[in-house]
Amino acid sequence: MELISGVLFGFKVALQPWNLLYCFIGVCIGTLIGVLPGIGPVGAMSILLPMTFGLSPATAIIMLAGIFYGAMYGGSTTSIMVNIPGEPSSVITCLDGYQMARKGRLGPALGISALGSFIGGTFSLIGLIFLVFILAQVALKFGPPEYFSLICVSMTLLIYLAKGSASKALIMILIGLMLGSVGIDKITGIARFDFGSSYLLDGIDFIPLAMGLFGISEVLMNLEETEERTIFQSKLRNLLPNVEDWKKSIGPILRGTVIGFFSGVLPGGGPVTATFISYTIEKKISSNPGQFGQGAIEGVAGPETANNAATGGSFVPVLALGIPPNVIMAFLLGALILHGVTPGPLLVSQHPQVFWGIIASMYIGNCMLLLLNLPLIGFWVKLLKIPYRILMPMIVLFCIIGSYGINNSLVDILMMTLFGVAGYILRKLDYEPAPLIVAYILGPMLEKSFRQSLVIADGRLSIFVERPISAVTLAISALILISAGISYFRKSKLKSREGGERRPG
Amino acid sequence: MKRFHLLPLVFWLGLGLFVLVHSYQLGLMAFNNPGPGLMPFILGLLLSLVSLYLILVSFLKKKQTDETVRGEPKKGLYGRIGVIVGALVAYAFLMEKLGFLIATTFLLIALFKGAGSKKWRAVVITSVLVSVITYFAFTHLRLRLPAGILKF
Repeated sequence: MELISGVLFGFKVALQPWNLLYCFIGVCIGTLIGVLPGIGPVGAMSILLPMTFGLSPATAIIMLAGIFYGAMYGGSTTSIMVNIPGEPSSVITCLDGYQMARKGRLGPALGISALGSFIGGTFSLIGLIFLVFILAQVALKFGPPEYFSLICVSMTLLIYLAKGSASKALIMILIGLMLGSVGIDKITGIARFDFGSSYLLDGIDFIPLAMGLFGISEVLMNLEETEERTIFQSKLRNLLPNVEDWKKSIGPILRGTVIGFFSGVLPGGGPVTATFISYTIEKKISSNPGQFGQGAIEGVAGPETANNAATGGSFVPVLALGIPPNVIMAFLLGALILHGVTPGPLLVSQHPQVFWGIIASMYIGNCMLLLLNLPLIGFWVKLLKIPYRILMPMIVLFCIIGSYGINNSLVDILMMTLFGVAGYILRKLDYEPAPLIVAYILGPMLEKSFRQSLVIADGRLSIFVERPISAVTLAISALILISAGISYFRKSKLKSREGGERRPG
Repeated sequence: MKRFHLLPLVFWLGLGLFVLVHSYQLGLMAFNNPGPGLMPFILGLLLSLVSLYLILVSFLKKKQTDETVRGEPKKGLYGRIGVIVGALVAYAFLMEKLGFLIATTFLLIALFKGAGSKKWRAVVITSVLVSVITYFAFTHLRLRLPAGILKF
């Protein structure tokens, strides 16, 4: 009963005209940046974050979340029509979506991806409500040692599931944790790493850091890519998939929902991983895997559902534990904290309008997106024609206004530029900035729980293995590290053997 | 295993050692409790160890080919990046003196040129228009932007 009244309360919050408007703005911006390849959801959220300061926390998060799942819808459009993924999470859709479009099945491809996204998004919300409640009940018993172990396990998962090299991800995490420790120590009041600067005394601000690492450095990266985009010329008709399409797609959509939801919950996972897993599974269990890559509707329906289901799933650890599983959620957590809302097991009882409001607004937002994307698809396609040389200065301008707007301080613009250049160099050297941001957000929590645990235990480190939940969690993260080490060792052994065989020949 | 560029690793090692020393001076323990330096000390230690390990590995496997760099940079790319970064830094120093309108117009001109727009007249007109529109839009949203020389 509590759940039903909660959901009703959520709709009451989300249907307030103001929240409805910002939800609409959020999903529009999301679709827009999903369509435009030059900027991702993280960049857009960091630009818009300062502009939400005047809003209530619920309204702000409703809009920011709208950008996140809106981008999942928009990203698939460009993948299918232009063969350029607007977002990393729709890379997979290019494989079969574009082939479908070439074979004259543009309508069903766009239709099934929007409908699949809607189904995935809706079911993952139901899963989200149940799992958050269960987790929050358990999490109420957690003390500092348990939180410390949980953060540790999510960081090891970040390393394990990192896109590139695991050691680079580890270095990025360490740097992020260090950046998080700049400023006055909250427990003793001693200044750390301030170098006599009053700016650093307050710590490194989240917004210039995020805008630099994602907004500015993405702009600099994109200067290199000036590929001509040829838009698929085809009449849009029969957007709705026929009965046979549905028969083929219903399995992938249902599996995609489950896969997407759980890879969203898992730290280090998220929409991108979800699409890869879903595509691989669909291809493996398909009766004719040869069709994949040639325009199989299953290859569009599965991943497109999975990436939307993952958005719902990734809200679970943030809302229940206050631990973000991926970089976009780290942003939302940062935004919640800036608005004075601390997510965690008490969120539902302390800020019900935020919790239920977000969930209901995500359902409403998904409905809006279905309307925005199916009938209005031609409009979004036109936007693809905006050249990057016009888009780029606008993105930079919004970054500047955004980072200046927080404190009216030009130092923030300077910091943003500095982090932008740093982010560009890191990306050039194949260091992904995403783990850095997650670690930066988690850093203060990690340190607080670590020190509190030691205070409880009179300085004995054994407290982390004496408490059962904490011991199990730490054991899991140790297992992950060991298995990562073993597979790494095997791979390098295999490689050196191959190298050895090749050399004589 | 992929080889790593050595220079960044040396940089990480230096950073790790610096953090190590600095946090040791902050004090690892305070009254029998973990002090302000303990956590950064552990981080510095880990970073130094990881980068040292990677440096050693890349010395041992010297014969393997270098890490692939993502594509060759295009001609004039660094010049364009220089223009954009330079414009941003100059903007940060001059915006409050010149005021938002003038500084932003110049910044946008630099950015449009840096992004590869060719026509001067179009660039100047768009830049002026965009900065005027954003100025009034954001001051309307109650964001304080310095007027500088131009007073309204």
